[in-house]
Amino acid sequence: MNSRKSGGHPRVEALALFARGDLAWFERRPIMYHVRYCAECEHEVEQFRASLEELRRGASAGLPPALEPAGDWSRIEREMTGNINVGVAASRCIEKVGSRRLRGWRGPAVIAGLAIVFVAGWFLNMPHSDTARILSALHSAWGGIQPRNGTVVQATSKGVAVRAQGAMLTLLHPGATDVTVSVNGAGSVGARYVDDETGQVTIASVYGQ
Amino acid sequence: MRWLDVEFPHDAPISLVSFSLGDSTTASVRGTSLALDLHTSLTLRNASGKSIRGLTLSVEAQDLTPSGRASVTVPSLNAAPGEIFPVRVDLELLRPFNTPRNGGALVQVTLDGVLFDDLSFYGPDKLHSRRSLTVYELEARRDRQYFQRLIAQGNTAKLREEMNFGLPEFQSPQLGLELLHDPRSTTGSERPVSVAIVSFPDAPVQMVNGAATIYKNEVRTPHVDLRNRSAKTVQNIEMGWILHDQGGSDFMAGLLPAHIQIRPVQQARVQENGVLRFSHASGSPILVDGVTAFVSNVEFEDGNWWIPSRNDISNSTLDASLKRTLITSPEQQRLAEIYRRRGLTALTTELKKFGK
Repeated sequence: MNSRKSGGHPRVEALALFARGDLAWFERRPIMYHVRYCAECEHEVEQFRASLEELRRGASAGLPPALEPAGDWSRIEREMTGNINVGVAASRCIEKVGSRRLRGWRGPAVIAGLAIVFVAGWFLNMPHSDTARILSALHSAWGGIQPRNGTVVQATSKGVAVRAQGAMLTLLHPGATDVTVSVNGAGSVGARYVDDETGQVTIASVYGQ
Repeated sequence: MRWLDVEFPHDAPISLVSFSLGDSTTASVRGTSLALDLHTSLTLRNASGKSIRGLTLSVEAQDLTPSGRASVTVPSLNAAPGEIFPVRVDLELLRPFNTPRNGGALVQVTLDGVLFDDLSFYGPDKLHSRRSLTVYELEARRDRQYFQRLIAQGNTAKLREEMNFGLPEFQSPQLGLELLHDPRSTTGSERPVSVAIVSFPDAPVQMVNGAATIYKNEVRTPHVDLRNRSAKTVQNIEMGWILHDQGGSDFMAGLLPAHIQIRPVQQARVQENGVLRFSHASGSPILVDGVTAFVSNVEFEDGNWWIPSRNDISNSTLDASLKRTLITSPEQQRLAEIYRRRGLTALTTELKKFGK
């Protein structure tokens, strides 16, 4: 974790919140950009998401009493829907009270104001994953983006790595100063260096299929 | 739970004398995963009757099998029959706690191949180590002859230049890359480009044309058309790929082999499926502007090989840093290290050890 702090990566807490979709949009954007190009952080986020998924599966299978509220997603959903209905009903009441004064330009202004409050409230409070699911569903309707789902081979600052099935294997080149990284073949990345201890030139490679 | 197993076939030309896990080997919890940091030194013996010039060890983690695997290759070896030599394996394995275990060691090291001084080969060759070890050995012979000639001529100025002394600007830039087989599709912003071609005059295979698609920091499905100019049938070919970024810098991206049969004077197409995604060592993306390709080596059906000579590379149209990258073989890297640390006498002694 030290390297995370010193290497210009987001803090692990921020990645955890990002994975859950609990960051505000202005905090989320730079992390989303970083994660897209940083395999290490992307892996961390995937791990958090896998754990979350595990927790959800656990919730549906029956949780210990202490964790029960967190797993009762349908109850939370009902509460949220109820809150939204209360808000909508309240706005209708206001509309009726001031109906005469809201004619003309004021009506649209109030509606726009409420819309801004609603959008801001949505992005500040709703989990990003839910928003993303909704947007993704809408996007799919217009032709869609396929999720990335494959083996990834990559070169990092400390070695070459292959990531698959949730696990990651990195061949390290500790202490090597002059490391040459290249694609060595179809689905393979290699790092060449002179081993400090043996004096042998060594080529560490990873392969994805 | 066993961390590491090392197993070689009974008829293997190398045997395991010992292996030890270093003091820095640790297992810890990282996020929701077990992080195994493993540093081991294998002591191997040449159990054959021939000198070993290189070997490749396959490294497999059960959590990644069959999708991913790794290898450690040591080219430029000079292990005589009966000689003992070390090979280090340093790795890190991250496995989520919820991954089911299949029994056996978490990491298994086996033998993929051994290349001897007569260019014969032993091993299952699942990782195509025969091809890579043979090319490394041919390059090593080419470079040893060149350095022996420079020393014999007393051309120390050229020798120092070749060993990269005083030329820090020739340090090849480091890049990070991912190779994706199942990438996100894009929505129309991909850009088709022609592949620029670098020709070596003596190459038996000439590139005719090529194309690829570029999307931000990704090169998608590059392909080239090749013509066999020789009188022999080509069996395997390896293409070198160079990347140009939008800032005007060039990077040596790597070598992609292709098993393709091209009869004399015939033409064929080599295509790489998948996506190469590039980034700087810092992690920031390299916005790709164009790609260049060249023929790096050729294997003929009769078992002969072609690799570019040092003159081919020096006289090519590549810029100086790319020439330097291309010409620096694993053997040159090893010899340069000997020269830097122990001087000209040690380098001369090292070169004399090799009969060929």
